[in-house]
Amino acid sequence: MIAMIQQRQISSAPLWRSVVKLLRLRLVILIGGFRRAKLSRKLGLIILAIIILSVLALVFIGSWFLLRFISSPDLFQYVGNPTVFLTSVPVIVFTATFAGILLTSFGLLLQALYLAGDMDFLLSAPVPIRAVFISKMLQAILPNFGLILLFGLPLLYGLGASEGYNLLYFPLVILLLSVMALAAAGLSSLLVMLIVRVFPARRVAEVLGLLAGLISILCSQSGQIANWTDVSQQQASQALQLVSRVNSLWSPFAWGGRGLVAIGEGRWLSGTGLIFTTFALAIGIFLISLQTAERWYFTGWVGLQTGTTKKKVRSHSPEVANGGLRYLSSHHFLPASIIAIVQKDFIVLRRDLRNMSQLITPLVFGVIYAVLFLRSGGQAPEGRGQAPAWFMEAFDNLMVYGNVGISLFVSWTFLSRVAFTGFSQEGHNYWIIKSAPMSPGKILTAKFIVGYLPATLLGWGFILIISLLQHAPIGILAYSLLVVTLCVAGLTGLNLSLGVNGANFDWQDPRRMAQGGTGCLSSLFSIIFLILSLALFFVPPFLFDFFQWSGLIGKITGLTLGGALCFAVTFIPLRLVRDRIPLLDEN
Amino acid sequence: MTEKSILIETERLSKKFGDKIAVNEVSFQVFRGEIFGFLGPNGAGKTTTIKMIVGLLQPTSGMVKVAGFDVQSQPLLAKAVNGYVPDTPNLYPKLTGRELLRFVGDLYEMDRHQVNRRIDELLKLFDLVNASDDTIDSYSHGMKQKTAIAAALMHDPSVLVLDEPTVGLDPKSARLIKDILHQMANRGAAVFLSTHILEIAERMCDRIGIINEGEVIAIGNMEELRSCGSGGGSLEDIFLDLTGGAEYAEIAEVLG
Repeated sequence: MIAMIQQRQISSAPLWRSVVKLLRLRLVILIGGFRRAKLSRKLGLIILAIIILSVLALVFIGSWFLLRFISSPDLFQYVGNPTVFLTSVPVIVFTATFAGILLTSFGLLLQALYLAGDMDFLLSAPVPIRAVFISKMLQAILPNFGLILLFGLPLLYGLGASEGYNLLYFPLVILLLSVMALAAAGLSSLLVMLIVRVFPARRVAEVLGLLAGLISILCSQSGQIANWTDVSQQQASQALQLVSRVNSLWSPFAWGGRGLVAIGEGRWLSGTGLIFTTFALAIGIFLISLQTAERWYFTGWVGLQTGTTKKKVRSHSPEVANGGLRYLSSHHFLPASIIAIVQKDFIVLRRDLRNMSQLITPLVFGVIYAVLFLRSGGQAPEGRGQAPAWFMEAFDNLMVYGNVGISLFVSWTFLSRVAFTGFSQEGHNYWIIKSAPMSPGKILTAKFIVGYLPATLLGWGFILIISLLQHAPIGILAYSLLVVTLCVAGLTGLNLSLGVNGANFDWQDPRRMAQGGTGCLSSLFSIIFLILSLALFFVPPFLFDFFQWSGLIGKITGLTLGGALCFAVTFIPLRLVRDRIPLLDEN
Repeated sequence: MTEKSILIETERLSKKFGDKIAVNEVSFQVFRGEIFGFLGPNGAGKTTTIKMIVGLLQPTSGMVKVAGFDVQSQPLLAKAVNGYVPDTPNLYPKLTGRELLRFVGDLYEMDRHQVNRRIDELLKLFDLVNASDDTIDSYSHGMKQKTAIAAALMHDPSVLVLDEPTVGLDPKSARLIKDILHQMANRGAAVFLSTHILEIAERMCDRIGIINEGEVIAIGNMEELRSCGSGGGSLEDIFLDLTGGAEYAEIAEVLG
């Protein structure tokens, strides 16, 4: 009887009380995580909070400048009639909010609904299912909504203040932004469920990680290629007018913004109508999405598979599958165990898309900087033709050696992922290698090959392409290839050794395997090594050219000195960490 | 039993994690052709002991030998005769079952033709043929467990160490594992397994060791164990009597 009464009380528990309870639980976990975190992590989070507050201050200062800019004649010069642009600002912010929340909450909802692993627990608890969904959606949108408010609010409030809008404009801004965000999250949840019905959640997360990585690299580096200094007034004007076109009466995104401007300007009838329509539409979308998502999820229509599809991997005969590596093993050049690890690592790196975004990074960097290098000429200026021939030749050679710098940079970026995390990437599976009869030397050799082979090929590829484009002399090209070969060996040895010291086997997402200060140390040592080795490789040939001695002896001297350093850096750190291999993953 | 027939031997084996003593001076022997059950409550030190036997953890002190090879001073020889199944089947999720078995075969430097033959045999034995070209991340827990056991059997080890091998397996697969372990013991291998399912231990194991708070508190066959406890009949009674869980039965009765 008591149980029945309790059950009735529980089932009639108010929805929003349950939502608050679930959100409070999340907050408790968050605070608990902070309390139990290491001091370094706590400090990092405090510094991050300070940075966010600084950004907030900057945005406020920025909005103040914006107010001045809006009323300045400069804008009129670009846009013609600034009123059209000004009334478009709320529309742009609302559209950006909707699109931003729709896209960013997709990944977060995917994680929260399918990969977090707490849905079974929550759905079996005496909590309304709707409360679970609402709390999941709020969790997904709150962080990004906070960021949007951080940048959007000063802009919209600045606009309101500068245009002398009605006071009602200001609370309505927050209200409309909130309902737009809720509608976007609702649609995003449906999108997640539709996609998860076709593709497994974990695979979607991997693809999403790859896309996010690529987009962030392209966005961060696009500024390097873009030529901002040559933007004409016409181009700027066109760009701003394009922004104004978003403000179309037929676009539902525009209704809220237009309504706000109308309310702000005291056009009550049209303003109220537009805002009410937007509000009703957004809430309607949210409620319908919520109900549909609940039903889909609860009835199992969307499937609850979190693994990857049972996709057959093309089966090869061992000889074909192992290719050249198998050839090396069968001819006793390398033991089968070393070949096995190399092969396994290449397969794992290739098949896990989350690795690909990190592996593609060096290629993107390389292409961008090679383009920049070639665009700047990459060759010695001709001057007035009065410099001696030997000087011009030495200078030309020096410029060609610049190619080595680019290719080594690309190889190093690649190695920092493949060699530095060579051991960490084994993760919880390291027991397989550790319990096998393999000596530390063999394991190190395998991991060295995994990093060295592709990094060298990558470096060679860049050298060859740039040198061919620059018509570099064959002797210089051959010398550059040798330098890359030796330097990459040194970089691999260095990164692999430091990776052994900072090995982290406890991770779920490969993008989080390299944590801690060893990564910074690795970058620092790599830069020092590259500067020293390049100096040893290139200074002797340059000096020999300068003093008009034999160029060949100059190159041999450079190779001997630089090569000696590379050999030392390749083998000494590896020898030092060899005894640590049996102790890895002890805790 | 002669000295030569000992395949696993530990002597005053200890492991400390900081100040915490996980395993304290554990000594026992497992003989050729024997199935040895290693029992103990959660956190008693079973997995730590097993990890020291297979060379995944370095002992703080003491000695462990496998097939006469000291795991610390001759790790490669000791590991070469060992087969190990961990308590959690962590396997490379992006490899297929077939690729994983080939990988393990190559790690043990097996002959290529032998590897291919053995893979086909084991996949068939564990009913994994249809899933052999699927990546492991699509496997169920039971399939992963079976793949881990198949990997341990790849090189036909003379010492097989299994940590909770039947967890997550359906009755058919659990029965298969038991049959395989019996076959291996009959062929002269030493099987060392930890389990919480006392019925399995009682029915399968020739001898049983019970560890509690890092120390071996009883060792022997069922008759010898009965003499250690207060004379209870089943292994469960003996286990609870020795590890101090018998009083919980009374509490459970009151709650019920």
